[in-house]
Amino acid sequence: MDSEAISLPQDMLPEILRTQPVLTAAIGPGSLDDLVLGAVERKPPRAWYVAIACTSTVMLVGLALMGYTVATGIGVWGNNIPVAWAFDIINFVFWIGIGHAGTLISAILLLFRARWRNAIARFAEAMTIFAVMVAGLFPLLHVGRPWLAFWLFPYPNQRAIWPNFRSPLLWDVFAVSTYFSVSLLFWFMGLVPDLASLRDRTTSKVRKFLYAALSLGWRGSASHWQHFEKAYWIIAGIATGLVLSVHSVVSFDFAVSLVPGWHMTIFPPYFVAGAIFAGFAMVVIVMIVVRTTMNLEHLITMYHLEVMNKIILTCSCLMGYSYCMEAWTAWYSMNQFIHHTFWAYIAGTYAWAGWLTITCNILVPQLLWVRRFRRSFPVMLLVAVAVTIGMWFERFVIIVSSLHQDFLPSSWHIYKPTIVDIGILLGSFGLFFTLVLLFARVLPVIATSETKSALPGSQPHHAGGTHA
Amino acid sequence: MREPVFSVLGIFDSSQQLLDAIPAVKARVSGRLDAYTPYPIHGIDAALGLRKSPIGGMVFVMGLIGAISAVAFELWSEGVDYPLVTGGKPIFSWQAFVPIMFEVTVLFACFTAGLGMLFLLNRLPFFRHPMLHSKSMPLITRDKFALAVEADGKAIDIDVDAIAAALREAGAQTIEVLEQPAPLGLLSPNFLMRVVLGIGITCFVAGYLTYWGVKLFPVTIPIVHMLDQPRLDPEREDSFFKDGFGMRMPVAGTVPMAELPFTITKQEDAAILANPLPRTESVLKKGQKNFNTYCSVCHGALGNGVPSLTAAYGAKPANLASDSIRQLPDGEIYYVIMRGKNAMPSYAADLSEDERWSVVNYVRVLQRALNAKDSDIPQEAQK
Amino acid sequence: MSESGVTKVFTLGAAAGLVGVLATGFAAGWERFWVNWILWILYVLTVGLGSFFLVVLEHVVGAKWSVPLRRVPERLSSLILPMGPALLLALLALPVLYPWTRPGSHDNPIIAGKAVWLNVPFFVARVAACIGLWLLAYRILVSGSIRQDREADVRFNVRARRVAPVFMVVFGVTITIVAFDWIAGLEPTWYSDVFGVYIFAGTFLAGLAATTLAVLYLFARGKLPGIRPDHIYNLGGFLFAFTVFWAYIGFAQYLLMWYANMPEEVFWYKERLQGLWGILVLVLAVVHFLVPFLVLIPRDAKTEPKRLVWVAVFILLAHWLDLYWMLFPVLGSGPVFSWPELSFAMFFTFASLLWLRRMMARGAAMPIKDPFLREGLEFRL
Repeated sequence: MDSEAISLPQDMLPEILRTQPVLTAAIGPGSLDDLVLGAVERKPPRAWYVAIACTSTVMLVGLALMGYTVATGIGVWGNNIPVAWAFDIINFVFWIGIGHAGTLISAILLLFRARWRNAIARFAEAMTIFAVMVAGLFPLLHVGRPWLAFWLFPYPNQRAIWPNFRSPLLWDVFAVSTYFSVSLLFWFMGLVPDLASLRDRTTSKVRKFLYAALSLGWRGSASHWQHFEKAYWIIAGIATGLVLSVHSVVSFDFAVSLVPGWHMTIFPPYFVAGAIFAGFAMVVIVMIVVRTTMNLEHLITMYHLEVMNKIILTCSCLMGYSYCMEAWTAWYSMNQFIHHTFWAYIAGTYAWAGWLTITCNILVPQLLWVRRFRRSFPVMLLVAVAVTIGMWFERFVIIVSSLHQDFLPSSWHIYKPTIVDIGILLGSFGLFFTLVLLFARVLPVIATSETKSALPGSQPHHAGGTHA
Repeated sequence: MREPVFSVLGIFDSSQQLLDAIPAVKARVSGRLDAYTPYPIHGIDAALGLRKSPIGGMVFVMGLIGAISAVAFELWSEGVDYPLVTGGKPIFSWQAFVPIMFEVTVLFACFTAGLGMLFLLNRLPFFRHPMLHSKSMPLITRDKFALAVEADGKAIDIDVDAIAAALREAGAQTIEVLEQPAPLGLLSPNFLMRVVLGIGITCFVAGYLTYWGVKLFPVTIPIVHMLDQPRLDPEREDSFFKDGFGMRMPVAGTVPMAELPFTITKQEDAAILANPLPRTESVLKKGQKNFNTYCSVCHGALGNGVPSLTAAYGAKPANLASDSIRQLPDGEIYYVIMRGKNAMPSYAADLSEDERWSVVNYVRVLQRALNAKDSDIPQEAQK
Repeated sequence: MSESGVTKVFTLGAAAGLVGVLATGFAAGWERFWVNWILWILYVLTVGLGSFFLVVLEHVVGAKWSVPLRRVPERLSSLILPMGPALLLALLALPVLYPWTRPGSHDNPIIAGKAVWLNVPFFVARVAACIGLWLLAYRILVSGSIRQDREADVRFNVRARRVAPVFMVVFGVTITIVAFDWIAGLEPTWYSDVFGVYIFAGTFLAGLAATTLAVLYLFARGKLPGIRPDHIYNLGGFLFAFTVFWAYIGFAQYLLMWYANMPEEVFWYKERLQGLWGILVLVLAVVHFLVPFLVLIPRDAKTEPKRLVWVAVFILLAHWLDLYWMLFPVLGSGPVFSWPELSFAMFFTFASLLWLRRMMARGAAMPIKDPFLREGLEFRL
């Protein structure tokens, strides 16, 4: 059987079957360091300064409005009864969702041994951490007295009470803090060897001290690498379960309730698929910016972008399935309240948001069935931006539209966001992109040691072997 | 005199050369072998004879501990220490405790993996290893591979030349000799670990003591959030109002709830009031209870004006069974309860409308009882 | 035992089972007969569909490591072929087990309201459509792959890559329809929109377990030369991951219904958690999740054939138990298990094994002319 096994040379295969290169130039470990670590050592291009000026301005406006909210009260937002959750929770779910892509690329793709992940894992993980940081601001603000938010943690206190462990809001506290700390640990662990490289390259004494301290004295010993690899893989494996659980716990905030349109059992996997969807779109946007501005086109190749787009398309189909299941089950339930809620999604006050969601999340990404579009920058960016907008509005529809007309018609009320709401939302984007820009300036955007280990010729031969 | 040698390094250009060199060098020299590489090399663990990493077992055990302690804590806090029924769920609602149990398991497991790897197994941070100050270190983190033959610690001097020759034969491009670092003194990694552990234990003990302390002594000044509030307390003075009184009278024109205002000002005018309550047993029993509570003190248990008060009281309560009062319509008796008469104060605040009318009915009972006639005795009892 | 000896044993077993199967309707009641029939149809169908999903997944993702193994799930997916007619036969169960077919059911406004979905002609049309779509996909993907052994035409791979994503969509829709029509339809006032995903999870896991078992069986007999522990590890990894996924979906559905406690939803769980059913569901949790999960945690466990065989067997048993726990409460009593269930088990198990033996014997055990076979055999972790 072995001898009968054929293998056609690449040029004899139809294009659709050919293996795409993950690396499109001859890059060795040394030149990789110069390319990636050099960006940290050099002064950034003028575009970086312009970009960070813009994003920090937006961020400061947002932070100022957050300060205004804390000083004055939640009344400056548009929240009312019955729409008690609005932009605050929409933004929280949105940003947590975006964080999931990083862990998926970093952890889950590691487990699948997808070699293409190496070039993008580092900044994807960084995006996770920043997204979770931004997301965490919103539950903090929306409690009204954020200076008392520590009450959410179970510590012995003079009130002699404990937080309510049966509440999904507390599950959220644990899930998000675990997610943040584990992501931070995972990211930092991966950074240690790269910080050691920076330590050994730098000539500035201040930087050398900082990098030396942060790299903990890493020396690349084989016994250290052994423990490191094992720990890295274990955390990757566990982080996979963590990713599923975090957005499922976020979905439980809604699904354990009785609100029609919220109590749908498909919420956990639906939210996870949506999170991956939104996150990958954001990663695609950042990827395109990073590869162009930092001359990394040979490391972050069209292959990477095409695979990302295929995953975005898959998630779009999963979202389509979820929307169809929700709508069909809503009809099938023969429950008049659920019927009304779903009618409101497409024909009520916020129907425009419902249709915007469907267009941006289901219709626009279908362009990616076409191979030419998957490899075209304008189409990719269009789809990524559409998905980002669509996923934000999906949360808007779920939260605001379901709440504004639930069981009791006498409680129905319209929701209108205030300028503070919108300013904080824009500010959150400003904060996120400012952090990403700072990260790109200060730390290597590609995991150099990981990528080096997968370059051609980097590993000793073992009696023929492919890693497909 | 030269510093004692710590290790001899051979620098190789590729991972293949390094891997091939290991068995060759192992055969020729004694001493501990270690390799330094910019990334992990497949197959090097076996070549160097490294023991399997214990991290998997550590993670499993800690994960299990995390799961059990999370569930135990949730069950104890929600079921034993401060049992709380939320959403009609049973006290030991394990289903609701699963998500947090899962998250805490993940937290414990991942932190064991990450921090256990860094601090315990790799003994980092450690900044005094001779490798860090060598000329080869920048080469290693860039793209070269090193094989080190280390002195075992007991050997004061190792045969540098023999080792260098073995390394060169195995294909090393350059050789470097590293010297032992000066002994450290106080700030060893072990010491730091103990300090961290000590801080951890202190925090734990402090938390435990705090919990029990505040449980036994609920208020710890100055953390008195809800006790010290800008509000009006009953029976306390308050600077908010000009006269300093915290408790205020109701605003003029305030009417009590569940009652219409009583506007009659002359007893005769009250005659038009109709008694809404029938003279059923339950009404009369209620009236009896109220009369005994409020009226019998002055008017006597029988309503005949012979009270339990002494003469020193001064006033003379009316005999309710007297003819003048017997002739009064119900409304006028009600009026007297509402407005008082002479020395009798108003009992409007003490009795609700129904209670007042029930008292009126009971007064009628007393009046009949104290003016009983023989014909009042039922037929059967007249023997 | 020789090959023909094994075949004889299987045939005898199947025949003995068939006697019991035929007797069940008359001796134990037609409800008992049909619920067993539907359980076993769904069981074999889901094993076939799950294996088929694995094949389709390989084409969608362009995986190379699984190419040498692909023929095994392809043969397993041939179980869909006899299940088509069996499912059509199961239509006779509609008036016996499915309350919405009875005339009085339309007094219930919930059932009357969805009469446009829950009526016999549309139901039959749906079943026929599902079977038709599965057969079409089978023809393109599996028959095409087997044909490639002779024709060595690379165009099959191109066609497979193009058709596979479309079939993924079809698969999602059809498995949801099967879940709602055949399982949830037994209690037509109940609804849960993750139910399709739940049945999918069990289906895929069953397909993976069956594939793993078959691969290890053939590997032990030297029929899969060139397969290495690296390939086995991937199968073990998938088993581990999807065991967790099944448990996650199952628990999520339960947690949400338990928490909201809405009578119109939670009665389904109430029926299935009282008395012996509650004990059964604990057993299900242990056999379907806890044991495979704990056994497969260590990395090395995922390459040990003996462990994987046990885990695969457990999962296949647990999948039966899962369907049993979902379907049998419709009989209205506690869990029943006696000669009807054993007869059905014997008949369907041995008949399926006979079918699979015949199918495997029809051709090579690997897709020998697939252009990626060599790369697949050279796969290293």
